[in-house]
Amino acid sequence: MKIHLVTGKGGVGKSAVAAALAYRCAQDGQKTLLAELGDESFYQDYLGLKPLREGQTVRSPLGFDVALWSGASCLREYALYLLKVESLYKLFFENPVSRTLIQVAPALSELAIMGKVTSGPPRNVGPKLDYDAIVVDAYATGHFLALLKAPIGMIEAVRVGPMAEQSKGILKILRDPQITNYHLVCLPEELPVQESLELDREIQALVNVKPYLWLNKLIDFPKSLKAQGPEYEKDFFLKQQRQDSTQATIEAAFKGRWSSLPFVFEADETKIVAALAKGVKR
Amino acid sequence: MSFIARDVRVVVCAGTGGVGKTTIAAALAAQAAEEGRRVLVLTIDPSQRLKTTLGLSDSGETSELKHPRIKGSLSAAVVNSKKTFDDFVLRSARSKESAQRILNNKLYVQLSTTLSGSQEFTALERLYEAVESGNYDLVILDTPPAKHAMDFLKAPQKLGALFQDKITRWFRDPKGGDKSFLVGIFQMGTKQVIKALEKLTGSEFVRELSDFFSSIQSWQGELEERTNNVHRLLVAASTQFVLVCSYDRSKLLEAFKFAKAIRQDGYHLHSLILNRAFPEWLANRQDRTFPSDPAGQMAAKWAGYFEERRKNSSILSELQNQSVQIRELPEMKEDIRTLDGVFEIVDRLKEQT
Repeated sequence: MKIHLVTGKGGVGKSAVAAALAYRCAQDGQKTLLAELGDESFYQDYLGLKPLREGQTVRSPLGFDVALWSGASCLREYALYLLKVESLYKLFFENPVSRTLIQVAPALSELAIMGKVTSGPPRNVGPKLDYDAIVVDAYATGHFLALLKAPIGMIEAVRVGPMAEQSKGILKILRDPQITNYHLVCLPEELPVQESLELDREIQALVNVKPYLWLNKLIDFPKSLKAQGPEYEKDFFLKQQRQDSTQATIEAAFKGRWSSLPFVFEADETKIVAALAKGVKR
Repeated sequence: MSFIARDVRVVVCAGTGGVGKTTIAAALAAQAAEEGRRVLVLTIDPSQRLKTTLGLSDSGETSELKHPRIKGSLSAAVVNSKKTFDDFVLRSARSKESAQRILNNKLYVQLSTTLSGSQEFTALERLYEAVESGNYDLVILDTPPAKHAMDFLKAPQKLGALFQDKITRWFRDPKGGDKSFLVGIFQMGTKQVIKALEKLTGSEFVRELSDFFSSIQSWQGELEERTNNVHRLLVAASTQFVLVCSYDRSKLLEAFKFAKAIRQDGYHLHSLILNRAFPEWLANRQDRTFPSDPAGQMAAKWAGYFEERRKNSSILSELQNQSVQIRELPEMKEDIRTLDGVFEIVDRLKEQT
């Protein structure tokens, strides 16, 4: 089983690229799950799915499953699996105090989510997660790093006991490049590129795996553009120059572990995902 | 006429990540400062470039910006989440020892440095402080990055719940001893819940958690009052929300949901700003036909694309009937690097007022 974690700066097209990766895996014949995080679904509107609530999984017309995982839903699943006794589980989770606790207890949500993401083989903790590929549309930069830091921080805070053991198991999966792949989505613009370079360093420092970068929305400008001419041509010329220089920056930092994805001139989201899916083969 | 009316004291800039919230917050502040008001813009996690543009430092100190167009004053500060949180603890704890105890708690360190709700809390804490100081006619708050625009409004409630008396009492003495608490069947349940929690997480974790909750007990009152005051400030008519959005269909659907939700909860939605709605060259051009050379063909493709996306705005027609102002901003030719650039956005906003 492969886990694909997709992150990047806000607004770079993370969700579209994650959906495209899932679509690609499904097209290649893999049993694929696209998981989004949080307590409200984005893909429900984006991919035109049936209503998707936290903890649920629905089928997308594109041939893969979509799940919505929240901290609470992941922890609930884990607890039920571990406690086994239904009454004790009910006592724990149908109690307003513990519900509040789960929402706010530091890093518990993040840890529960990472536990769920890594719950398949070889860890095999919790309900069976039977997929060839799991693509996670993870949070943007800062919050994504918080996800990775949760098991590391927990090992530091608590050295023994089930919490520490689970955290070690999670971290082992996150540090295994044979299982976990990191995808950074980026735009050919100054700010997202800077953020990607920092994110690349931080991910490597935390899990020692090299991320792969997708330079999204690359425009295929005509070769003959001039700096003079109509307003639009000047604008294209400037954009082309900026695009070229960011590509040089990316190449210098990512040497061979990045690809570009084309700008898709479509307003319809499913068409965008289908077009990107052609590009995410590597 | 001012885009942000003079009786507005607080503007909250909301929206999902990457839509240009921070830049627009700066532009709204610059416009009000140009009209002679004393304005503070609070930003969270700004890019290095914007920090340079606004002369900001990470320490959270306020800096005053100079520009010939500013008639009042324009100040800017970064909300330093960890520092604001620590300051709050130091101020609220009854004694130095109890403050130090909480600052040293391993789980507190995680709470104040990771992003689960604490950034939102500290942003609002800093906002409240700035409004109370009386130093400003208008405070503009840029909100933390979030998957959904609504997350910002939910966060304080979530964090507020952490300080409910119930939950601290729960940990303070799970074995009994607090007489008033011993009474009632809940006590039985508590023991079992703690046992279940121990089974799930280990006794060391439960010990840390228990320590955390008993440490914050002393500043519960203060926090509760603070949470109430902040809520009162946010629902006041003088606090207005500006939602920044793009023309993507899914983002517009979210904006629509956000607009409905914030009204239901009693907040005031001032306007919706559709950022990077079209390139500047398209805005200034009446003629939609282009020459057939490669550049012209590309321009025609772009024009068609933006036209198509704009059709998505039908999602918002209901909002237009509810006195929410809707504005479009073009994609700026150059990245904003100076206050001049910020004032260029101000001018684009004025054209539509």
